[in-house]
Amino acid sequence: MALFGSLFCRIVLGLVIAFLFMPILIVLTVSFSSSAVFAFPPPGFSLRWYASLGNADSMLQAVWLSSQIAALSTAISLVLGTLCAIAITRGMIPGAKAVATFMASPLMLPGLVLGIAFLQAARDFGLRDTYTTLLIAHVVITMPFIMRTVLASLSLFDFAMVDAARMLGRSYPAALWTVLVPNILPGFVSGGLFAFIASFDNYPVSIFLVDVRTKTLPIQLLNQVEMSPDPTVAAISALLILGTIVALIVCDRLVGLKRMASI
Amino acid sequence: MTLARDNLTMPAAPVSRWQFDAKALIAAPGLVFMALAFAVPVLMLVGDSFVDSEGLSLAGYRKVLGDPYYIGIIGNSLQLACITTAVCLAIGYPAAWALARIRGVWQVILFALIFLPLTVSIVVKTFGLTIMMRRDGIINFLLVNLGFIERPMRLVFTEFSLYFGMVNVFLPFMILPLYSVMRMLDPRLLDASASLGAGPLHTFLRVTLPLTMPGVIAGGTLVFSISVAAYVTPGLLVGDRFMTMSQVMAKAYLNIRDFQLGASMAVIMLVISAALILASSYLVRAPGGEKR
Amino acid sequence: MSQHATAMPPATEMHQEPSYLAVSNVTKRFGAATVLDSLSLSVGRAEFVSLLGPSGCGKTTLLRLIAGLLAPDQGAIEVGGRDLTRVAAHKRNIGVVFQNYALFPHLTVAENIAYGLRAKGVPKAEQAKKVGDALGLVRMEAFADRAVTALSGGQQQRIAVARAVVVEPSLLLLDEPFSALDRKLRETMQIELRHILRNLGITSIFVTHDQDEALVMSDRIAVMNEGRIEHLGTPSEVYARPKSLYTMEFVGQSSRMGGVVKGSSEGLVEIDTPFGLVRAPGHFMSGSRVIVGVRPEAIAAGEGPAGEYNTVRGTVAEVIYFGSRTLLHFQTAQDGDRLHVELNRLPDQVAPGSAMTLRWRIDDSRVFPAPTETGR
Repeated sequence: MALFGSLFCRIVLGLVIAFLFMPILIVLTVSFSSSAVFAFPPPGFSLRWYASLGNADSMLQAVWLSSQIAALSTAISLVLGTLCAIAITRGMIPGAKAVATFMASPLMLPGLVLGIAFLQAARDFGLRDTYTTLLIAHVVITMPFIMRTVLASLSLFDFAMVDAARMLGRSYPAALWTVLVPNILPGFVSGGLFAFIASFDNYPVSIFLVDVRTKTLPIQLLNQVEMSPDPTVAAISALLILGTIVALIVCDRLVGLKRMASI
Repeated sequence: MTLARDNLTMPAAPVSRWQFDAKALIAAPGLVFMALAFAVPVLMLVGDSFVDSEGLSLAGYRKVLGDPYYIGIIGNSLQLACITTAVCLAIGYPAAWALARIRGVWQVILFALIFLPLTVSIVVKTFGLTIMMRRDGIINFLLVNLGFIERPMRLVFTEFSLYFGMVNVFLPFMILPLYSVMRMLDPRLLDASASLGAGPLHTFLRVTLPLTMPGVIAGGTLVFSISVAAYVTPGLLVGDRFMTMSQVMAKAYLNIRDFQLGASMAVIMLVISAALILASSYLVRAPGGEKR
Repeated sequence: MSQHATAMPPATEMHQEPSYLAVSNVTKRFGAATVLDSLSLSVGRAEFVSLLGPSGCGKTTLLRLIAGLLAPDQGAIEVGGRDLTRVAAHKRNIGVVFQNYALFPHLTVAENIAYGLRAKGVPKAEQAKKVGDALGLVRMEAFADRAVTALSGGQQQRIAVARAVVVEPSLLLLDEPFSALDRKLRETMQIELRHILRNLGITSIFVTHDQDEALVMSDRIAVMNEGRIEHLGTPSEVYARPKSLYTMEFVGQSSRMGGVVKGSSEGLVEIDTPFGLVRAPGHFMSGSRVIVGVRPEAIAAGEGPAGEYNTVRGTVAEVIYFGSRTLLHFQTAQDGDRLHVELNRLPDQVAPGSAMTLRWRIDDSRVFPAPTETGR
């Protein structure tokens, strides 16, 4: 009976994995299809949709914009978030727990609500520049990922090491840089990776902030899927999936996937 | 290496006897930024929902809560979230159990296979789903070839495709919290229960389920709160036939420019997710619950 | 430890020497709590001084103040005539051995030791030589390229010492460096560390809550209590002639009996205790309530000459056998205070309930005012 139960669970797990991968594999298949219609099974193999990416200017611009926003917002969050996390962990500020919850709370709010809030605030403050608005919003989006991983890493870090470095002749900032940073690097890498992905894939916030000429990739993809879906979308999606897998493998080499997933 | 704590590794000033330290200023840039860029906009949004062109007013709420159309939309969102959460739990629980019980290399591989779809953009996955749902897509292809139906049927823009898609996109959010709780569960407890003569069902209901409840609560809260606010997946899979709060909010701002309607809807959604988070943290702390 | 303070130089001689480390009237508060209360301490060059006290007595705070990791609210700290009160920690050139050593896990043993030299901009070649010398000093030459995480507790401690002394600090601070070691290793390392530091001639301040450690290691001990130094003196002074009841009870074992002063003459007080009249050196007003303390090992069985000894009678309440010595709990007929007595050899036929006579030298008795009901 127990054996049956465990077999049942394993079968469910296998089906779940097949189910989860279905849409992803479909996108990959379609991207190599020779036909412009999404028939299954595909009539033939071709790389034409990848070739046509070279001409998809708006798509490439969106990739470039999303990469910039994701990289910049992750970097800013890493600096601001880490400094804040140090103060929280060291009890330098009162109400440390509440502060930590506050810094991580954008993740708990519905994305669209955040997006609307940013849109309204940008209007009220007269912030017209789409790029700046997007960047500010994405720092808010990425901050929780950094806070969670960096706080977790710091809780395992022995701050006596910073004192030791100071007593050996390094100033406080230099001590943080030479001792704290290398020791919580895994937290930076995994937090940074998740923050980057969260920003790169974000649509519910960005959708309210983009304009016709400044579109992030998810919004560009969404528009294209709504308006004129063709296998070019599948080709760029396939490349995105490939990029994600490469990034995950690199980070797994650096810090271990399990540890990253345990945030 | 953990001994008496009256030592140099202790925080210089524990929270209980806090005093100002110039080093605390390192927290200032992050805090000020988040206050201005996050707290202020959200509070302003809440404020906006109480204001119309003539000043203070509850017109937005009156419009949303007094109109059966909008009540129905809130109902749609809650229904969508409830069903998605229930289906994810029903499928995710045994899957997470199997994942937690497998050891060695396979566990790492299977874990990665559950985790990887999470990192793929929702837009991309939903795009894949719309292709699958086509009359000439793989679902119909399978159904026809397996002999379930004679001719391809229309799937896109049906509720079936909506729930199929929602579960597909959000299932990993259920499995991962369940898995992390189940992994900690000592299998000897189950042997102990069996050795005491308890049948499998009894063991499940009296031992396994209560012990994994924190995972159920965490996964359920997570899936519910993201599916109640889902936008892309319902939008692409059923569109206007099944309007949700997210759709209304987006339309209010992007198309019809009724900001008070959008703000009121947003605040209602904010209240729903805040209530959910509070409820789940209460449940997790309650007896039988576990650390957070 | 049973030898008495006969051959020790008087503590006052040490104080005459121009002090190398001078802590003057330092006060430190955390919020409403005053952790150090106008504390002063002076330490001579190459001296090894222990700060001994229970947790919360302020010893670690004092260490952090000297290190510069905390700033005092009032008072000044000087080392070698240089006022360091407002100097940043990293410019003080003070070495610290931390409780859990705080070795850098991302660096090798050699890199850990070289860390301070690099920070000071010592040329590469010289760094290598100094690291080699430091490793030799702590007999860890073979471990230069190991990961610090692969070392045992004792080895980590040696590396922590090497890392602290390689930069030739003007002062070495040690914060409970033995607390992470097991008992056996602790005793070996105490002797070894004392050797190393004596040979280097480095002035050291050592924080501990372990009285044995302080007695073994120190030139002088500062017994701390509630932010103040209760007694500063050589180990034998602190042990044999404690200045306060607190010091007597914190350092070593003690037997105490409460009593009332009957009178005093010629530097001796006579006290009425449940064990009978007891004499001790000191001056007290007649009628004041006092506590008489004696070290358990100063007490012997049998009567002694009346002019030199106190003699008391009572019953044995309990016998606790330790092998090399035996501990007796001794009480009067009225069942009041118990006297703890440590005997190297147990007289024949002593068992719980048997009557017994005990003696100790009048000189070995200490009298302190009894703590008031409300405490301090």
